[in-house]
Amino acid sequence: MLDIYIKYPRKMPKADYLQGSLEILVLKVLRRGSNNGYAIATCIEQTSDEVLRVEEGSLYPALHRMTENGLLKAEWRTTDAGRRARFYELTAKGRKRLEEEEKRWHSVTAAVAKVLRTV
Amino acid sequence: MSLWSRFSRTLRPGRHTQEIEEELQYHLAMKEQDGYDARAARVRFGNTSLLKEETRAQGVFVWFESLLRDLRYGLRQLRRTPTLTLVVVFSLALGIGANSAIFSLVDAALLKPLPVRNPQSLRLIEWSTAEGWPGDLCHMHTGDTTGGANGPMRGSSIAPRIYRQLAAEQRGFASLIGFSDPDKAAVSIGSRAAEQFQLEYVSTNFFEGLGVLPRFGRSFSSRDDRAGAPPLVVISERFWRSRFGSRGDVLGHPIRINNVPAQVIGVAPPGFFGVQIGEWVDLYAPLSALNAISPRAKLDRLLNEADTWWWVRQMGRLKPGVSERQTVQQTSALFQHLVVPPNNRPVPGKIPQLIASQGVRGFDPIGNDKARALWILLLLVGLILLIVCANVANLLLSRAVARQRESAVCLALGAGRFRLVRQYLIESITLALAGGVLGLLLSHVLAEAIHSFIRADLNIGGFDLHVDARILIYTALISLSTVLLFGLAPAWQLSRASVNDALKAHGRTFAIGRLRFPRALVVVQIGLSLTVLVAAGLLGRSLANLATLDIGFDRNNLIYVSINPWSAGYQEQQVRQYLERLRAGLAAIPGISRVGVIQERPLSGGANSTWVNIPGQAFHEDDAHTVLINSTSDGAFETLGIPLLAGRTFQAGDMSPKSDAVIVDELFIHRFYAHQDPLGRQFGTGPKPTELYRIIGVVKNSRYNSLREAIQPTMYRPYTTALWPGFGINFVIRAVLPVRQLAGPIRQAAAAADPSVPIVEIKTQTALIDHLLLTERLLSILSGAFGVLALLLSAIGLIGLLVYAVARRTNEIGVRMALGASQSDVVQLVLKDSFWLVALGICAGLPGAYFVGRLLKHTLFHLQPADPWTAGLSLFILAAVAALSAWLPARRAAQIDPMAALREE
Repeated sequence: MLDIYIKYPRKMPKADYLQGSLEILVLKVLRRGSNNGYAIATCIEQTSDEVLRVEEGSLYPALHRMTENGLLKAEWRTTDAGRRARFYELTAKGRKRLEEEEKRWHSVTAAVAKVLRTV
Repeated sequence: MSLWSRFSRTLRPGRHTQEIEEELQYHLAMKEQDGYDARAARVRFGNTSLLKEETRAQGVFVWFESLLRDLRYGLRQLRRTPTLTLVVVFSLALGIGANSAIFSLVDAALLKPLPVRNPQSLRLIEWSTAEGWPGDLCHMHTGDTTGGANGPMRGSSIAPRIYRQLAAEQRGFASLIGFSDPDKAAVSIGSRAAEQFQLEYVSTNFFEGLGVLPRFGRSFSSRDDRAGAPPLVVISERFWRSRFGSRGDVLGHPIRINNVPAQVIGVAPPGFFGVQIGEWVDLYAPLSALNAISPRAKLDRLLNEADTWWWVRQMGRLKPGVSERQTVQQTSALFQHLVVPPNNRPVPGKIPQLIASQGVRGFDPIGNDKARALWILLLLVGLILLIVCANVANLLLSRAVARQRESAVCLALGAGRFRLVRQYLIESITLALAGGVLGLLLSHVLAEAIHSFIRADLNIGGFDLHVDARILIYTALISLSTVLLFGLAPAWQLSRASVNDALKAHGRTFAIGRLRFPRALVVVQIGLSLTVLVAAGLLGRSLANLATLDIGFDRNNLIYVSINPWSAGYQEQQVRQYLERLRAGLAAIPGISRVGVIQERPLSGGANSTWVNIPGQAFHEDDAHTVLINSTSDGAFETLGIPLLAGRTFQAGDMSPKSDAVIVDELFIHRFYAHQDPLGRQFGTGPKPTELYRIIGVVKNSRYNSLREAIQPTMYRPYTTALWPGFGINFVIRAVLPVRQLAGPIRQAAAAADPSVPIVEIKTQTALIDHLLLTERLLSILSGAFGVLALLLSAIGLIGLLVYAVARRTNEIGVRMALGASQSDVVQLVLKDSFWLVALGICAGLPGAYFVGRLLKHTLFHLQPADPWTAGLSLFILAAVAALSAWLPARRAAQIDPMAALREE
């Protein structure tokens, strides 16, 4: 007879090193103007010289989450090529969040750099 | 994203999925266009449906979506076990229905505000004095009084003329309305025979002041309150419906009230019953109509043209933002100015002043004992609901056990325990709401049945019991609270379930070990049943004590015929002649052996009292000098069967208005003439007796005003000395035939004596006593019904549990029998099991029974709360029912075929 031991069936957090910083990057890209998901990903990848790679599996949930939270606005538009795409745009709340996140990011990276230099 | 779009997304998940799909398609297309390999791109994308799931899971309203899904699933589950679902819903409906029925009575009688505009701003206006009765200002008071006997006194009513002036001149209240106590009136419509209804005389601003708009027609205007005009009436909506069949042409319809023609001018709105809760008034007439309609108006004229007969109650509506104290003070000053005649100033302490009290529930004639009775019923019916919940909990628990495998699979596949618990709770809530809706229907029927019992055979009075928001909310609340009681048990059981055990086992052996929880529930049920049974037993025995109390005369075959000869316009001399004429006519009816005249019927709820003043003894207006007084004709004691102990009873020669003869009872002698020969002695009544009475006889004690209170000294006077103008009088009849055979001949005799004098009612002494014991009977009947219900529910609970337990132990019993156990051994096994349940239940129930007994202390008559007989009987009944219930599963266990049981394994 088969025994099945599943004590705590819980969702494990996704291993994704970009999870924390993806949001700030999306906000920053959209700061220049509204854009669609694919363009956002491409922009991040190209600007970082292909160092940062945006997983689609993370990007779209993040975009939807940020829309839910009121950081972004989304609407369907027709691209220059004549295809329908979903375009995202910063809201006032999103702009404010970006400023805060940028500040926080700089202080954290500065702190990390200092530790790396000193120790 | 707007709230609406989130919501619509939840309700229409398909469209949202489509959007995500489209967005991802665009992404892939772009990638392909940029030179990526389509397949590689798709691989990189991974599981698109998982991505969709995750994107979708962001929805705030996702819980709502899963809730809908759970609800659908729950309904499917309930449909799958229809018998169980029906049993659960019906038991809940019974419990909830009984509860809301009793609650609707409690609410109508004790809690609900008056059905008028802004009842919070209404104040009852009454009077108070510092030193007792307000002297010569008032000779007769109709309404409520408390206190007195030279101490502070409070009364409800003032004279009508004073009221009219006060209402016209006062400026403090937005309006000051006046009204009489409800009065019984004989109303006939068209050629139909007259019926009794409650009539109230009201001021012309009554409806307007209360903010009650007539359903149609008009209410009174100031012109309607004048003497001489034909009486106008506003009728209740209930009266309009039942007596006019809701006809539209009712306005201007002539009706006769006490044989006086009157006209209907309006119909009150539905549910408006007046301002006295429980005394539903069906007809309203202006104050001045009293003179035309009421026979008592003759008394009014006798009592110095109205000012000394105080019968108008008042209610005032406060103006918003004006100080209540100031308003009352101003009005009171005006009242004192109006009420005290300039030439006759009484002592200051006897001048009444006005006081105000909260009027949100109007004048509340529900007595304390009735209120207590209703609360007791609510408590008992609450216990019934607990028993129902225990039963339902056990039923659902058995279902939860049956579904344990399913739950375990869900858990194993990754469902959250919370989600499963929620699933069960949703099913429970669905059941409870279904039970609640059905219960609401049931409650209306039950409440109406109880209501008609309270109103007895009288067609008058009553409460407003229509289902309103309050009853709906109450029913919804108790329905949902039952969920907490019965729904949590299976959910809790479930949350403890071990996935491992459940999946490993098959068949019955995996279920909850020793049925500990179901057993506990049955124990609780038995305990609660014992509590209800003891309460029912105490109330039943108390009623029996009251009903079999020695009242001093033979209550059987005694009939009273109530008449009011004054309503035919007689003068006092004519009334006497009429009474003698009718008495002779009644005595000639075959089947009637004796007839007498009596002013107050014993044990009819009314009694007169006075203070005895014995020459040579100190006099006080206190309880020690208070005696009851009644007046009778010759032959009345013989008719009643009250034995004569000394002297003689009244003779025909005593029946004159000037007679000084008085008959007293033993207790009177004991209190005022101990160790003396009372015959021939003289005494008077009141502080300054104007005449002295001479004792001509002594009779045995009898019950006059109450069954509960201690018997009081009583004196009897010839009825001819106490013919109050306007007040009805009674014939007392000793019959040898049942009352229904005599009613016809009695009416014929009355018509022969004078057809214009209506018979008010014909009642037997036993019916009067039944009416006096209405509260006790209501309590006894309902608690008895609750007791039976509790027993039945507990029996079902016990049988269910034992049947289940036996079914689970089929194998074990089969093995035992195979190893040589006899059928009686098996029966014993099951009986022993149930014995412990019942014993524990009784232990659990005894404190509850004791507690309920304590609560009933003031309701019980000649009975201790811890009455051993009642407790013993309750225990016996409970044990007998439990034994009977256990017998069935025990028999079934004994009939298990060991071979079949073992083969099954």
